Amino acid sequence: MAPGRPPRVMDPCSAEFWHYTETKELRVQKCSDCQKRRWPPSPFCDACLSEDYTWPVVTGLAKLLSWVVFHKQYFPEYPPGNVVIAAELDEGPIFISTIDHSYLDMLRDGLSLKVGWVEGEDRLGQYHLPIFLPA
Amino acid sequence: MGALKDTVSVVGVGATDYRDDYRCEAGRAANKGSGARDSYQLAARSLRRALADGGLHKSQIDGLCVGGPIRVERASELFGINPSWAIAADAPRAIIQATQAINAGLCNTVACIYGNAQRSQNVQYGGGKAMGGSTALSYVYYAPWGMTSQGALYAMMFKRHQLTYGTAEEQLGAVPVAFRKHASLNPNAVMGEPLTVAEYLDSPYIAEPLRLLDYCLVNDGGVTLIIQRADRAKHSKQTPVNVSGFGWSGLSVDATQLRPRLKDFYYPAHRAVAAQVYPMCGYGPRDIDVYGTYDSFSAHLLFSLEGFGFCPEGDAGSWIQNGRIEIGGELPCNTSGGMLSESYMQGWNHQVELVRQLRGGLGVRQVTGANIAQYTQDALGTCLSVVYTKGG
Repeated sequence: MAPGRPPRVMDPCSAEFWHYTETKELRVQKCSDCQKRRWPPSPFCDACLSEDYTWPVVTGLAKLLSWVVFHKQYFPEYPPGNVVIAAELDEGPIFISTIDHSYLDMLRDGLSLKVGWVEGEDRLGQYHLPIFLPA
Repeated sequence: MGALKDTVSVVGVGATDYRDDYRCEAGRAANKGSGARDSYQLAARSLRRALADGGLHKSQIDGLCVGGPIRVERASELFGINPSWAIAADAPRAIIQATQAINAGLCNTVACIYGNAQRSQNVQYGGGKAMGGSTALSYVYYAPWGMTSQGALYAMMFKRHQLTYGTAEEQLGAVPVAFRKHASLNPNAVMGEPLTVAEYLDSPYIAEPLRLLDYCLVNDGGVTLIIQRADRAKHSKQTPVNVSGFGWSGLSVDATQLRPRLKDFYYPAHRAVAAQVYPMCGYGPRDIDVYGTYDSFSAHLLFSLEGFGFCPEGDAGSWIQNGRIEIGGELPCNTSGGMLSESYMQGWNHQVELVRQLRGGLGVRQVTGANIAQYTQDALGTCLSVVYTKGG
């Protein structure tokens, strides 16, 4: 059984994002009209309001923008010490994710990162959670 | 907007007994999670006090702005007011929109009323039972990664400020220390014990780099401000305090991916609001005698001081040192103790404090020569500011 995680926010576009994670594909919507890559998922573009979009795979490469270490436990699934990061994808969007606590001493502004995958499960089913590692 | 300058005045203020309600009932029925208090009751208590403060009768109220979890229709019924104009708003928007409604001739005397029994109702601002998600995705979207709470968003933002400008945690400590010092001069503040930077640094992290003492309180309370057309306010019981300027700018584009926070520290929204509020009132940052800012977390103050031009971008960490933001300093900030140490009234208690400072007579807490006061807020997707001046 995959480790339980706090619930995902689900809507049709988010469901598509998570569907791709089943095969460990990190895909981010791209507007077919103005080309803006958007995150989180949405049925229309916030820049030009176009409803036409694709789901291209992104490289999974990113630069570290910021991070926090949770000392208070908010979720039973995440004991204290969880490191949450803001990773700026090479394609543009800022992706909030996690990095293993063992890398904490390595973290610095602009650190090169690459996507990795861990298993997850909530009441909606099993999926892969995109996390990051030093590149 | 200049046409609206000094057209309305705050003529009555009221607040509940934050300290007594928090402290005296510890361990008794009305404490955390008991559900014993009611937001409307707290709101009504503050309304009654504001009416008495202003020497007004409830029948004079013909406009209503409600804040916090209370709703217009139920509030109108419970307070026995059938207004000719009513909205729900946060504190600065209540002031701004009341000004507009009065000037549009829709009403003459507006009661802006906030009530929130968040402590006794055990409202959560993080974790699995956190508020939010329906009006703004915010951190709720990142629960699968363990990301939650507004505090963690500000911790992420402050960490970015550290990485960009070298701001130190010791420097940030000047904020909770100053606000606590102010609270120690305020008999109604929930937290009155003085605090040192060393004690601050010893306090536990919640979402590192922010500590428990960087976080606001969660307590019960109510606040009311009564706003009136300035020509009527001339005859009021208290020294009227004029609404002399305001500004408003959204900051929600790309908000869930934290871009306005991590790339800009909300500066573009601050600048847009500064470009409205300062020309409208005819003053600038150097003219402000007393400053209030939304302080759900200590770091708010750094971003707003930089964005509104009190100091260069990135310099707030050093700028706030050596008593500069304390009463007696160059820019006294959150002189009641703010939401860190007085009361978490989501910006409403700051309005009361600024009005009281401009009226004068606050004793040891009084800012000498307080004639111009500014409030700023960057929260919930909008940056807002109101400038008040002493009227009469």
